[in-house]
Amino acid sequence: MFKMSEYSFVAGLLSAALALLCYAIAFASVRVAHRRTALAPAGARVAAVGGGPSITFVTRGPSVLATYGTLIAWLTFVFLGASLVFRTIAVGHGPFANMYEFSVAFAWGVTGVYLYFERRYHQRVLGLIALPIALALLLYATTIPSVSEPLVPALQNNLLLTVHVAVAIVAYGTFSVAFAAALLHLVQPEAGRRGLPRPELLDEISYRSVVIGFPFLTLTIVLGAVWADVAWGSYWSWDPKETASLVTWLIYGAYLHARVVRGWRGSRAAWLLVLGFAATLFTYFGNLFFGGLHSYSGLD
Amino acid sequence: MRETVRGESFPVRPEPADDLEGGLTLSPGELLERTWHVFISMRTGLALILGVAVLGLIGTVLVQAPAGLAADPAAYRAWLDSVRPKYGGWTGIFDALGFFSMFGSIWFRGLVALLMTSVVACSANRAPQLWRQATRPPLELSPSVFDRAALGATLDGGGSAELTAERIVAALRRRRYRVVTVVRDDRVHVYADRFRWTPFGTVIAHLSLVLLLAGVVIGTSFGFRDAGFAAPIGSRVEVGHGTGLALEATAFTDTYDPVTGAPSDYASEVVLYRNGARVAAQTVRVNQPLRFEGISFYQSFFGPAAALRVADAGGTTLLDQGVPLLYASDDGSERIGQFTLADQGLRVLVVATASGEQSATIRPGQVQVEVYPVDSQSPLGVRVIDQGRPASVGPLTVTFVRELEFTGLIVAHDPGQALVWSGAIALMLGVCLVFFFPNRRIWAQVARREGSGNVRIGALVRHDVAFQSEFQHLVDDLRRDLAGRAAH
Repeated sequence: MFKMSEYSFVAGLLSAALALLCYAIAFASVRVAHRRTALAPAGARVAAVGGGPSITFVTRGPSVLATYGTLIAWLTFVFLGASLVFRTIAVGHGPFANMYEFSVAFAWGVTGVYLYFERRYHQRVLGLIALPIALALLLYATTIPSVSEPLVPALQNNLLLTVHVAVAIVAYGTFSVAFAAALLHLVQPEAGRRGLPRPELLDEISYRSVVIGFPFLTLTIVLGAVWADVAWGSYWSWDPKETASLVTWLIYGAYLHARVVRGWRGSRAAWLLVLGFAATLFTYFGNLFFGGLHSYSGLD
Repeated sequence: MRETVRGESFPVRPEPADDLEGGLTLSPGELLERTWHVFISMRTGLALILGVAVLGLIGTVLVQAPAGLAADPAAYRAWLDSVRPKYGGWTGIFDALGFFSMFGSIWFRGLVALLMTSVVACSANRAPQLWRQATRPPLELSPSVFDRAALGATLDGGGSAELTAERIVAALRRRRYRVVTVVRDDRVHVYADRFRWTPFGTVIAHLSLVLLLAGVVIGTSFGFRDAGFAAPIGSRVEVGHGTGLALEATAFTDTYDPVTGAPSDYASEVVLYRNGARVAAQTVRVNQPLRFEGISFYQSFFGPAAALRVADAGGTTLLDQGVPLLYASDDGSERIGQFTLADQGLRVLVVATASGEQSATIRPGQVQVEVYPVDSQSPLGVRVIDQGRPASVGPLTVTFVRELEFTGLIVAHDPGQALVWSGAIALMLGVCLVFFFPNRRIWAQVARREGSGNVRIGALVRHDVAFQSEFQHLVDDLRRDLAGRAAH
């Protein structure tokens, strides 16, 4: 089962890289096509709008490639999911007990949430940022030991271990997608840029993903408190990871208030999301720097 | 006279001229009103949320002093010196600002208190609006509002205004909207909404935070948490804190993984007594605390203990139980325990060589016993004694009965917990209501006039793709439906 899990992991890693490559080429050629269209004489542009044969030829290639990209991203999702399932069977608990397992799960979460939003909003360009995040996590996972050690007593709570971390993975995945959309928002001028999704749409995607992620982060923290009460005798100890998650929660809370009540749109809201994602990463990696009660990374 | 405070505009009563204080005087009522407007302003709320986040971040990045250390100035100074190499010249500044105990600092508590005030003020300000919106929504919109609506469509009605309105009502009901129609001389108004109560989720979520914090305050004010409760195996130890309970650990086992050597289990067999009667018993493990009448016992640490029998010169037994050797000497070579004999005014230290260490003076099977008056550092007697042989140390006769282990428990009682968990549940509930069951409102009106374009539909929500497409589907369906009807 360990072998199966590792094969699936490698397959997931390679397919993530391949999906990203497809997206990158597709997007680059669409940009080139746009530039050509922009440079072409007016008459040709009319033909382009009308769907003239030469232009269709230029744009169909990339769109097919992008479709393949999505297909391969689905494969990534399946492979990583399989890797986690095999590992669960092999180790006998939710695959969330050390940094290797978290990283695979986080990458799986990012891919899954991206694909969900891709289906809903058809903006593959989000994958250009979401997939590198997943890929970076997987590459990071290759650098750390993947051995599974027996759970220390504090972690021996299969139900809470599984649910607490699984819920966190969903939250982290949605915040990554919110970040991806925010970043795409920030790289273009107020009026938008050709080849990129409209700023309002990106704004909407960010908001929708936070709307999903925020309740999940809330649940993560509440379940963490429940577990802390069971294992450590106190539902809150100002442990660095606890506090970092609270800071993250506050930032996304601020974002929701700013957007819903004060009508923050555009780059101000996008910057808050970048800040929120930085806090998410800080929460995720925090235990490596600060020790504390969550120091189960398996990297000591 | 009107004044603008933080973007909100409200009338202020004109002030009578006052030579002494010019125009600077504020009546208490005005002060209250201004304060109120500051607290209900979202800008204040945002600043407070981000302020708490910044302090939280500082508290995460800077090492925090262990809880309770501040009560012991010498220990706190020693701790400060231990972090000085890390923070250099900033150490004094951070200390003065209270950043080393951020979450108990005046800044943090003050800001959280302000945030909670703002939360309560906002909720109190918003709840009546939400109530009106849910119970007495505007059923009729004027045509100009339709012109400005974020989502809107103009359709051609088929047949009479009543019939057309009926089709609209049916389409909305199919989508599980609650529908109200108002018939007027010139037009029929349709108002429809879904999840009209869910906006109260925001009020629930916000007030849940207050509930949660109240639980925290009650817990810290009226509860206790004893993180250093050590129970030597086989000895009954008073739990204290007014619980009237005594605890006996009958066994402790620590298990390790044979391959990695990492701990795999700590388990204490624990029996609770009240007035000598056994009231509860359980194997306490790290994830399995014993809970009894709101008091919880958690496995936390363990270590060696020494079973001692102590008698006075007259032969009266003063103590016959295990003494946990809780402390380690600075170099880690010795384990030290202590107890006081209050009636005799004596303090007794028990020193043993730590396991795995060699010592020329205290060999295995021996402990060193030191007897002091409670208020003095000069010993009345110091002696290394052998296991099983009574020996006199100062005014006492001490027998080292045998080596033991102690199990270390956290004993906690938190009367605020029920509130904290209720708050957490209410928070989840409120957040889910708001985000997963969004309130929707749609208005329509059918004009009683011949000709096309007599039906208008609109909604006032902007930037909501999900609702936009729902609205678009509704409009498309209606367009088909009404056109089909007109053709008949």
